[in-house]
Amino acid sequence: MKNLNINKKSKLSVFRLAGCFLAIIFIVIALLGLFNKGLALGLDFTGGYLTEFSTEKSLSQQDMNSLLGNYLPESFKLTSAEQGTHWSVQQADNNASLQDKAWLTHFADKNQLNITPQDAIYIGSQVGEELINQGGLALLTAIIVILMYLSFRFEWRLAAGAVIALFHDVLIVLGIFAWFDIPFDLTILASLLAIVGYSLNDSIIVGDKIREIMKSTNDVTIDEVINQAIKSTLVRTMITSGTTLVTIMAVWGFAGESLAGFSIALFSGILVGTFSSIVIAATVPQLLGLTADYYQQKELEVCPLP
Amino acid sequence: MMNSPKKKPYRYITWQNLLILFTLLFLLISALPNLYGDRVTIQLSPINSSVQQLTTYQLKDLLAKHSLSVDKIHSLNQTTSITLSNKTDLKSINELLFVEFNNDYNIENSVISNSPLWLQSLDAKPIKLGLDLSGGVLFVLEVDTKQALLERFKNIALAIKTLAMEERIRGVNVVQSKLGLSIENYQQNLLVSFPNVEKSKIDLLFNKIKAAYPELSQQKNQNNQVTLSYSSQKTAQYRQETMQQTLKTMRGRIAELGITEAVTLQQGKNYIRIELPGVHDPDEAKRIIGATASLDFYQLAENSTAAGILRMADEHGRAFNLNSQVVFSGSNIKNARAGQDQMSMPLVNLTLDAIGGKKMSQFSKQNIGNTMVTVFSEFYRSADDKMVKKSKIINVATIQQHLGSQFSITHMPSQQAAQELSLLLRAGSLTAPVTIVKQRTIEATLGENNIKNGIKALSIGMGFTLVFMAFWYRALGLIANVALTLNLMSLLGLMSLLPGAVLTLPGIAGLVLTVGMAVDTNVLIFERIKEELKRGHKVLSAVEQGYKSAFSTILDANITTMITGIILYTIGNGPVKGFALILCLGILTSMFTGVFVSKSLTNLVIRKNKAQLLGVNV
Repeated sequence: MKNLNINKKSKLSVFRLAGCFLAIIFIVIALLGLFNKGLALGLDFTGGYLTEFSTEKSLSQQDMNSLLGNYLPESFKLTSAEQGTHWSVQQADNNASLQDKAWLTHFADKNQLNITPQDAIYIGSQVGEELINQGGLALLTAIIVILMYLSFRFEWRLAAGAVIALFHDVLIVLGIFAWFDIPFDLTILASLLAIVGYSLNDSIIVGDKIREIMKSTNDVTIDEVINQAIKSTLVRTMITSGTTLVTIMAVWGFAGESLAGFSIALFSGILVGTFSSIVIAATVPQLLGLTADYYQQKELEVCPLP
Repeated sequence: MMNSPKKKPYRYITWQNLLILFTLLFLLISALPNLYGDRVTIQLSPINSSVQQLTTYQLKDLLAKHSLSVDKIHSLNQTTSITLSNKTDLKSINELLFVEFNNDYNIENSVISNSPLWLQSLDAKPIKLGLDLSGGVLFVLEVDTKQALLERFKNIALAIKTLAMEERIRGVNVVQSKLGLSIENYQQNLLVSFPNVEKSKIDLLFNKIKAAYPELSQQKNQNNQVTLSYSSQKTAQYRQETMQQTLKTMRGRIAELGITEAVTLQQGKNYIRIELPGVHDPDEAKRIIGATASLDFYQLAENSTAAGILRMADEHGRAFNLNSQVVFSGSNIKNARAGQDQMSMPLVNLTLDAIGGKKMSQFSKQNIGNTMVTVFSEFYRSADDKMVKKSKIINVATIQQHLGSQFSITHMPSQQAAQELSLLLRAGSLTAPVTIVKQRTIEATLGENNIKNGIKALSIGMGFTLVFMAFWYRALGLIANVALTLNLMSLLGLMSLLPGAVLTLPGIAGLVLTVGMAVDTNVLIFERIKEELKRGHKVLSAVEQGYKSAFSTILDANITTMITGIILYTIGNGPVKGFALILCLGILTSMFTGVFVSKSLTNLVIRKNKAQLLGVNV
């Protein structure tokens, strides 16, 4: 940490350092959520029944709850959407044989409701464990392969910056899911991997720029190099993140309930990914002691004087 | 300003440009079928000439009475065809027609593409839709390969006992190890002990075992004991073989159900994923797919010399002592048909394959006058979540004559039972029990809704991006927009081309996301061009330099996303796989259109109008 010579006069440098501390606070909050509350695992992982149906008339959640409570012998979780016309009922998987589809029509007849079935899912409780292992494995392999690629392409401190930024993004998205009790299912896991990709995308572009400036100039400090790199990539970062965020908002708003969690994950992931590419991916190499003349030295080593 | 005297005229027709043009055209044509929908028609044709052809009025009245609307009713020759206006009506119309006309008419459904003939002749097909977009039923089955291995070792143990008996070696004891509790613990072994047997006889026995079961590894312990087991490699191989066999059986069963567009895949180590698009009622499919029935033929213990006795009672309570080795099993059955005998009693006619036929012929020749017992077994999951095999005797018959590869099982309780048994036998028996661990029924209306919403999200996301780019980069933005549109088109074309590509709802989200991300390539290049302009380069060299030096950054950024995409594709399944595929293909197409296509376009445009490009806020 000996060359923590952050220029106190440069606003950007101060912002970066402050952002770094903010990121640490965010991570602590996210970890608190993860360990205290834990992830609300969705049906994909816990197993159970999910029945989705729509009713012609809109009903209040309380009414439907009491109707279903009278009918279904076991406990269930009810959620509604679209002004009380779209319902999903979640039940645990505790009977050995498959529940038949007929209960819904029977229930409709009994209560004189006009019900259209939409979606019925049964997932055995034994599947979830394997999925968790597989998902964890996927995430881990992704990170290891990327780490290998980065250390081959970049100087190790730049690579470390990108990877720390990546962990930060994934942790914060997981933290959001834990704190807000959003069910974590397979599509969220997929979006988490997509976030890994996009978070790196931003970090790499900043890193690329830092490397380029370091190669071309030799009389500036590392602090200036990083600030310059961030400034010259800022427009690109804003435009790309902006258009991506808007398109995700379109998915969030219009592509239906089943992609809501997926959109939330991607939206928050890209938001924090943009933030971390500036404050973490670019700052960590400096904290790890990257010097401005790194690439110059290397060139000297390559062609020593006779 | 320096004017170079020998300025080469720009050649519009270079091989690069031609290649780009050709690729784009190819992808465009591949993407075209997606613009046209399908139409579903129902054909009604009389079973024989004595039945009157249906009139269009008749049908129209009937449909109107049930408030069902159709596009067109058309009579030609003997056939009447109905073109539906709404695909989701298919089920109810079919049911209605079936009730009204099934006795006199053949009812057939067909899906015809609306695309023009020249496109159809190119055999271009639209993108296949995943279950969440088309509606249908999904099953994920767990195959209990461990149980299959247990059964296999049980049979080997019996065979060894029989071998010892045939060789007149007494005092050989075979003990099967208990099944481990953990899922991963597949290890099975047989402990053969022979306390007081001569060495020469034992060597003979183990040589015979080696010849019969070369895959078993023999390990000598002290105290006259030998452990027989599969190596972990052999165990894995056995598991994979069992999976392949189960997959084959499942495909056979689905074909028997008459479902043609089904997707049957292995998922993970021991799961099978079955997607049945267009199926609405899972219960019928579930009964056939989930069934674990198998048929085995036994002889009575008193007529044979082999070791092991199986005690079983039939439904009348008569007890039988069966030889525990099967004469032949259901896997030897080639064909099975339900039928009736002369007394019009239901029966099942069986045809055996070559091996089964030989076994049957040999067996029946030696055993005329003896009894053969048919045992029907089924696996089910008991209350404490364990697989239990339940067997019952369904037939006891005396062998009247020398039988060949064709014979029947008589005394079936009902015609329906005969039908169902023949279907199960035809579809093949399973060596490993299966259980349904995931089942999903998606209504067709939900699927259609999902597509509609997806397209809405796509057009809004795309619209915003196009407007923004045009506003921010002016002329260059228009180039980016053309590239973006071509990107979307190429992606759709590529998806239609790849045989395994399936569009799912997360896939659509991936498509929208790709649109948002695809501008990145162009933005990187344009920012680079601006930078070069600021440094004092001329327009042409700035553009050239911009494309060149931005490329390595673009490559770096995209490769990492590609890595995650590929990992996601190999590990994920179903909708997630669809998302991963779009992600990967989107990277490829966005690099192609963002770099190569837009570079050609920029070159074309700036040579015509250099001043326009300077509209970029230099």
